[in-house]
Amino acid sequence: MKHFLAVVFGAALVTLVSAAGTDGAISFEYHRYEELRKALVSVWLQCPTITRIYTIGESFEGRELLVLEMSDNPGTHEPGEPEFKYIANMHGNEAVGRELLIYLAQYLCNQYQQGNETIIDLIHNTRIHLMPSMNPDGFEKAASQVKKQHPGEIKDWFVGRSNAQGVDLNRNFPDLDRIIYINEREGGANNHLLQNMKKAVDENTKLAPETKAVIHWIMDIPFVLSANLHGGDVVANYPYDETRTGSTHEYSASPDDVMFKSLARAYSMYNPVMSDPHRAPCRKNDDDSSFKDGITNGGAWYSVPGGMQDFNYLSSNCFEITLELSCDKFPNEETLKSYWEQNRNSLVNYIEQVHRGVKGFVRDLQGNPISNATVSVEGIDHDITTAKDGDYWRLLAPGNYKVAASAPGYLTVIKKVAVPYSPATRVDFELESLMERKEEEREELMDWWKMMSETLNF
Amino acid sequence: MASKHVGLFVLFQLLALNVVSQTSAFPTPTPASADDKTVYNRQLTEERPLQEQIAEADSVKAAVQSAESEQNHDDFTMLKSLAEGPKSKETTEVPAKKRDDQYIPDESDSTKSRRLAEDYDSTKNGMDYDDPESFRQIDGTPLTADAIVQKIANKIYEEDDRGVFDRIVSKLLKLGLITENQADTLEYKVAEALQDLITKNAKNNEIEDVDQEARGAQDDEDSDTNADTWEPPRRRYEEDEDEEDDEIEDEVDRDAEEDGDNIWDRDAEDGNEVSPEDGLQDLQYFPNFYRLLKSLNSEQDTQERETLITIMKTLIDFVKMMVKYGTITPEEGVSYLENLDAMIAMQTKNKLGKPLLPPEFTGPNEKNLDEDDNTKAEAAKMQKEYENLKDSTKEEQPSAETNRPGKSETYLEAIRKNIEWLKKHNKEEGKDDYDLSKLKDFMDQQVDSYIEKGIIAKDEGDTIKRIYSSL
Repeated sequence: MKHFLAVVFGAALVTLVSAAGTDGAISFEYHRYEELRKALVSVWLQCPTITRIYTIGESFEGRELLVLEMSDNPGTHEPGEPEFKYIANMHGNEAVGRELLIYLAQYLCNQYQQGNETIIDLIHNTRIHLMPSMNPDGFEKAASQVKKQHPGEIKDWFVGRSNAQGVDLNRNFPDLDRIIYINEREGGANNHLLQNMKKAVDENTKLAPETKAVIHWIMDIPFVLSANLHGGDVVANYPYDETRTGSTHEYSASPDDVMFKSLARAYSMYNPVMSDPHRAPCRKNDDDSSFKDGITNGGAWYSVPGGMQDFNYLSSNCFEITLELSCDKFPNEETLKSYWEQNRNSLVNYIEQVHRGVKGFVRDLQGNPISNATVSVEGIDHDITTAKDGDYWRLLAPGNYKVAASAPGYLTVIKKVAVPYSPATRVDFELESLMERKEEEREELMDWWKMMSETLNF
Repeated sequence: MASKHVGLFVLFQLLALNVVSQTSAFPTPTPASADDKTVYNRQLTEERPLQEQIAEADSVKAAVQSAESEQNHDDFTMLKSLAEGPKSKETTEVPAKKRDDQYIPDESDSTKSRRLAEDYDSTKNGMDYDDPESFRQIDGTPLTADAIVQKIANKIYEEDDRGVFDRIVSKLLKLGLITENQADTLEYKVAEALQDLITKNAKNNEIEDVDQEARGAQDDEDSDTNADTWEPPRRRYEEDEDEEDDEIEDEVDRDAEEDGDNIWDRDAEDGNEVSPEDGLQDLQYFPNFYRLLKSLNSEQDTQERETLITIMKTLIDFVKMMVKYGTITPEEGVSYLENLDAMIAMQTKNKLGKPLLPPEFTGPNEKNLDEDDNTKAEAAKMQKEYENLKDSTKEEQPSAETNRPGKSETYLEAIRKNIEWLKKHNKEEGKDDYDLSKLKDFMDQQVDSYIEKGIIAKDEGDTIKRIYSSL
């Protein structure tokens, strides 16, 4: 038999497919656009039941803005299941985040198949969206630049940072901070500041296609928690990014300052470099006085208007922080493995933060979901809204809160909740509509009238 | 006198009052609205042309549709609107039955569409389907009864679920919109149309679809139907289906034009055994080899014939085994076998006129140890062909794979990991073997949609599909 085989097939036929790689090893190298695409497709092919690839649009030069989604039911929002996203590489020359998200996708798929309980639970209870690159055009520019130089040389700090039109995407978002600061002084909405959004966004000629795509994405999926991956420093940065007075450094707390600090720490504490109190600054003259425990308020570090992080918080229900992951924006390929080691646990732990606070459904008395109902927390001037199935997720740090659900035409209901660190506490609301209440009152009145007339005999 | 006047006056007042009160008590006749008129007219005519009924229900349906969500689509929406429409419905041949899958954009998720500026809220289904249930033909004219029957049959065929039909008809019966006779007629017509569809599609070599259809038709359908009245027609229908199944099987067997890929489908689970019954079925995929066999019709050649058949079958099995254990990629195996047949043709042609058995062989003795010794000649002959074949595949392979050796390998590995995990997963949960054909279909669908969205390239998609189809 064997001889027969050997003769018949010989060396010509067999390109022995290497059996290696079944251990799920991730190969740590840079991925250009095609390779990025191939890597995502491979993850999908390996885990088709829990992953799905989609695109939210095209970059200026026509590259797809690819997203890999991971959940037990990819493609569907399951009522009550929170949505999470990671976006990286919005500055094309800040490359580490892009690679980390590719490795993360491979890691989650491998771990899922190997029976890792934590990962399995996470994927079953969360809908995770990974966008390795928001600025693929910039990356190509930066990557080809890097190739030309000798390894070890300082790369240009700016080549490939902006998109193909020269737009810095992290200054390109509508500046909602300014509006919120006015509202704080003079009264007004405390969230969802962009009304009639789609039309305004589409007609705004100053917005880059990548920015527009992300804005649409944010509006369409009820994201709860998110992080934005950058390079050039090592810290976890939280809102607000723009200072209230316009000065260059000023602590600018958001209403959810406590929660944001907790979220930022949840990332930094598992990253040994980020949380190292004795870490030297990336560059000799850097001012990292605002960094504490590896976290910093945005405004306290330096003022950034028009950034994606604050846009998330002020236009939608999503809480986003900015993660700076490497002193070197485009480090050598050999260092990628160590960056992965540094960040892997943080990346997973941060996703788990989405399961905190209170969550539940807002329904009417007949059990129908009330979408776009307002959920407010006493003492925190930042309301969130329910999604289409009436489901909501309100991230809160541990403590006692009064949570109120309201909707036009309905009577507000307030509930007291004691919130632990995790998991999220389930609080459902049944709202009585004003009509129903009027009906009740009318019936009571009728009963009273009937009794009166019987008694008084008329 | 005065009193009389007073009396008259009082009387007059009373009368006036009465009149006034009566007039005010009179219900003001409402102005005849257009709707009333049509209702009125409707009641006059006993039988209205089918098309008119259809058009009318269409407008009713449009009003009803706006509030419905996508999930409720299928039959029930239409039936509701039908119920709200005119109750009188004497139709000539076929009940005015309509279904519409108007896809209202689902606002839940924009991830299905890649459009940037447009309506980002379209569902992934909505964009892809053309509306099979619309009430008008492409040129806008209303459907004829036959066309309706055809559409119903199509829908059943596509959805692989004849319960669709049952549900609709039972609802119509309940609502009193059709009589039982009409329902029977409709069922006959739809069954006929469906049968035509199936045979037509079977002829187009869509074997898998047909198998599923046949299997699907066997399923007992839901409990919505009025139990008693419906049993007889359904049984009849199933009998029809059974006959169709037999027909289909025969056609498949007789079809000799399948390409080599179908081998995998048939014998994927069988392991290495070459069962004598289906032996020739494998070989029929090699028309040239077949012809070669036929040419060995004389008595003295019978033994050689048998040997050739056995060798060929063994070879096919070896290729399958190699693929199964991953020694070669499925694409290589498939192309090898495809080329094998071509080579046989060429060699046969070359050797035309010369004796079929070359006189001498320098080839080594290795062959199946199970074979008879005096078939050494045959083995060597085949082997020589394989040698040539080997060279030709050597030439072909680099050209086929220069562009993406790494990529298809990575994809293949990923797919293999998935299959391994599925096997292990199902074993752990005590389930039966995972449904490979379902997975294959699902992956094909996904690959197509990804190609369309620009997520993977067409040739990559083809590679993936080929890998899956060769499993």
